[in-house]
Amino acid sequence: MEGLGEVATWEMDMAGWHLVFNATTIMMTLVIVALLLLFGWQAARKRAPVPNLFQVVGELFVVTFWGLTRDALDEKLAKKYFPLICSLFMFLVLSNWIGIIPWMEEPTKDLNTTLGLGIMGFFIAHFCGIQAKGLKAYVKQYFEPMFFMMPLNVIGEIAKVVSISFRLYGNIMGGSIIILVVTYLVYGLLLPPFLNAFFGLFVGTVQAFVFTMLTLVYISVQVR
Amino acid sequence: MTWENFEMIRAGAVLGAGFSVGFAAIGAAVGEGYAAGKASQTLAYRPELSGDVLKTMLVGQAVAETAGIFGLVIAMLLLFTPNAAQPTIAAWAFLGAGLAMGLSAIGCGIGAGLPAGSACLGIGRQPSASAQLTTLMLIGAGVAQSTAIYGFLIALLLLFKKLPDVVSMPGICALVGAGLAMGFGAIGPGIGEGIAAENAVYQVARNPENGTLLTRTMLVGQAVAESTGIYSLVIALLLILGT
Repeated sequence: MEGLGEVATWEMDMAGWHLVFNATTIMMTLVIVALLLLFGWQAARKRAPVPNLFQVVGELFVVTFWGLTRDALDEKLAKKYFPLICSLFMFLVLSNWIGIIPWMEEPTKDLNTTLGLGIMGFFIAHFCGIQAKGLKAYVKQYFEPMFFMMPLNVIGEIAKVVSISFRLYGNIMGGSIIILVVTYLVYGLLLPPFLNAFFGLFVGTVQAFVFTMLTLVYISVQVR
Repeated sequence: MTWENFEMIRAGAVLGAGFSVGFAAIGAAVGEGYAAGKASQTLAYRPELSGDVLKTMLVGQAVAETAGIFGLVIAMLLLFTPNAAQPTIAAWAFLGAGLAMGLSAIGCGIGAGLPAGSACLGIGRQPSASAQLTTLMLIGAGVAQSTAIYGFLIALLLLFKKLPDVVSMPGICALVGAGLAMGFGAIGPGIGEGIAAENAVYQVARNPENGTLLTRTMLVGQAVAESTGIYSLVIALLLILGT
């Protein structure tokens, strides 16, 4: 239980800055990326009318998220942002699931990953908003309904990044803390597999979906 | 009776842990119970849909559970992180952290349960739209939870902020007050956003073609309902940073 707050880090000094990297998160993110690349290669390698296992799963992802993206954005924007939305979900769901394998840690258990993805979504959504509405109309929406509401509107937009990234981080972190504590209390007997199935597979899938859909919704709110 | 420094910090931490998980349990349990009630109401007249309704109910309850899980996480952190090197005033920060997390989870647990209930009702009414309803329910419940997440953020800040060594009455009150501001401020927005999501989900079941318009209206309304929660977040941040 004493190891609860400890993380493995790499430290380096560069150009006057003292940089600290979370080694586990970086390694696990690279593992996820490698697995996804492998999956993509397998899914597209032998495309056939009678698909193999990987192609079925890949088509499932593509069809589901193409429908959701097209409903939220119009056809032209949907074509542009569909790869982002689909790959975001695939990355997150694999990240949340990998924690059920022993000695593997979820990259989403680290706030840096989720906050990074949240900030990415924030910039994409606001870039889309400026592109769709023009800079003048975009700036004007912050001064509504009255001009002195501007600071609160800006904080409201930044709070969206906080809420989307802390939701994912809190759920995955919370799940792993609960698994750790219960495993410690029951000496690893009987309960941990069920907890892993609930927090890793079930909550992990739901939260990955919520994160992806909210990123999509933030884009569509800015565009419309 | 004089208390040792560490004894005081431990006392604040365990009290905060109790508040955190105790209050958080209220909201999550009420929300989940509401969802289960609506699911049974649906099954009473559409028993053939039990598979779909049960699945939606469980997914909705898992989202409503988030508030309770956050309370548990803060309680665990409160129990295990305090150490003797911290100044005495940390005891009050821990109490504030527990209040911020616990109280803010009440509204959000209830609020996330409301759309889960109406999604079950909606599937009974319009089984063909079940995928659309589940998606909208997840978005609505997710947004309704955002104030609990601000509470989680304030609690984490109170837990890990470097605090001054001097113990002053305004300092103590600011730390507990930050917890109270965030906690009470989050109850209303959580329930209010839940009501918006509940009705949006049910109306999509009545008229699935208008789904896009209803989703947008729901999100705009929720953003306005959330603004009071954001005011409390600002005040709580100012109180913490001022200490």
